Amino acid sequence: MDALNAKEQQEFQKLVEQKQMKDFMRLYSDLVSKCFTDCVNDFTSNKLTSKEEGCINKCAEKFLKHSERVGQRFQEQNQLMMQQLRR
Amino acid sequence: MSFLGLGGSPNVSSQAKIQAAEAELDMVTGMFNQLVDICHKKCIGTSYNASDLDKNESLCVDRCVAKYFDTNLKVGDSMQKVGQNGAFGVNR
Repeated sequence: MDALNAKEQQEFQKLVEQKQMKDFMRLYSDLVSKCFTDCVNDFTSNKLTSKEEGCINKCAEKFLKHSERVGQRFQEQNQLMMQQLRR
Repeated sequence: MSFLGLGGSPNVSSQAKIQAAEAELDMVTGMFNQLVDICHKKCIGTSYNASDLDKNESLCVDRCVAKYFDTNLKVGDSMQKVGQNGAFGVNR
């Protein structure tokens, strides 16, 4: 495929930014659902307990670290696949 | 198709190029997002005793990604074979 020229690249960049925004919002709401489901189970009060809060913090942090690690491995595997394709 | 016939044919290929780039971006980000979700389900425990991945979880994630790529290739091979055998009525 031909490479994009400067004007096309600009247009594509806009598209990428829109998608990143959407992706970020999706990640946010998914993470809220996940950590809420896994951590919040006590409904004797309308405030989060300290235990629940700790769980939510760990849940969110851990997910982001997980996603970072998957990203690293994803890149490595992608490069490996490209090298094999070129051979 | 160019908008109101303005710009002529250069616009057509320009749009097509951007669409192709978009499709590729969607495929890669889609695959990545799926991978994050699937490997999280398979590897990360839900007790959340720590905010770091422990040794087993890290190892599991690494293997999960590698095996997902392998699975991808295997399914691709099978699909190609099915295509060559003229299933789906494609090659008839």
